[in-house]
Amino acid sequence: MATISDIHNATLRDEIEEFLERPEEIERNIELFSRARLLMQDIAVAVIEGDDGQVDRLTRGALDQGIEALEVMDDGLIAGMGIVGIKFRENFLFVPEVLACARAMKAGMAHIEPILMESGVKPIGTVIMGTVKGDLHDIGKNLCIMMLRGAGFVVVDIGVDRSPDEFIDAVEEQGARLLGMSALLTTTMPNMGTTIEAFIDAGLRDDVQIMVGGAPVTQEFADDMGADGYGKDALDCVALAKQLLTDDRV
Amino acid sequence: MSEIETNDYQERLDRISELFAGLVAQAESVSQYRCPYRDRNDHCTAMFTCRNQQPINDDPEVLDCGNDGTFDYSDAWQSHPRNRDRMKHKIETIRLEGQRRRAEGDASGGKP
Repeated sequence: MATISDIHNATLRDEIEEFLERPEEIERNIELFSRARLLMQDIAVAVIEGDDGQVDRLTRGALDQGIEALEVMDDGLIAGMGIVGIKFRENFLFVPEVLACARAMKAGMAHIEPILMESGVKPIGTVIMGTVKGDLHDIGKNLCIMMLRGAGFVVVDIGVDRSPDEFIDAVEEQGARLLGMSALLTTTMPNMGTTIEAFIDAGLRDDVQIMVGGAPVTQEFADDMGADGYGKDALDCVALAKQLLTDDRV
Repeated sequence: MSEIETNDYQERLDRISELFAGLVAQAESVSQYRCPYRDRNDHCTAMFTCRNQQPINDDPEVLDCGNDGTFDYSDAWQSHPRNRDRMKHKIETIRLEGQRRRAEGDASGGKP
């Protein structure tokens, strides 16, 4: 049976000793990391610290060394994110840190994607995601993006306070068939409708499926705006995105 | 560099999705009582201004969240029925305006 001292990375040992409390989780992580290469342990630590630059560098280095992509995912990226999940559950981390960790994981996954392409594994689809004009809230959108990427979508995040033209440009540039708009404020929600109208004016409405979400949005509002779908939360967003793409292919 | 089998990759995606679903559920739960923009150091990470933001250490780049944890920010979206009706009307107006504009454009040979 492995022990904590079998883990070479000191930061990782500290993370397990300081933040993990449940015996089965401690045991599982010691088992996992003790058999993981030091480089995988380093990647996991960089994910836990939300250091996307370090994850980028280490992941590229690992793949260049010929380490299997699945090993990098299992023992580095996903394993690190597993610790993040536990720390979040126990209130050692909060939403901003978790999103930074997810971005760090994405930085590593970016190096896996070309291997997937070469292997003939295609992404489910490309989604443009942004928060509408006048709205600077991004957490809901970012949680949706995290879930979508986790489910295998390629997500182009155009940010917050985005005008209808910026949504249109992104859809055209990426050739995306799916667009997600977010708003937190009741007062900015109508800008989703304005954006949908802009797509109609541009003659692009039939080329893209539009989903909307955010705290003030309801199915009724989504219908009123002429959106193709409404997601009540980030989990719903993934199911909706898959559904809309399926509908699109029919 | 070896190839990745679709099934092997899908298995990882399923694990990631399960992991992330737990994170999202926790985020929703925590956000009921703690602003989601407040980080573990109690700094505000929002890109917008908030009445709870307080400068610290003479560093204008870093703002503390000065809230005592009781601030209810749900007013931003849980609007009164009157406001919801106003927004519903506004959304309807946006659609009708768009339809009218396009109809006029069609009538004038595509020149709105």
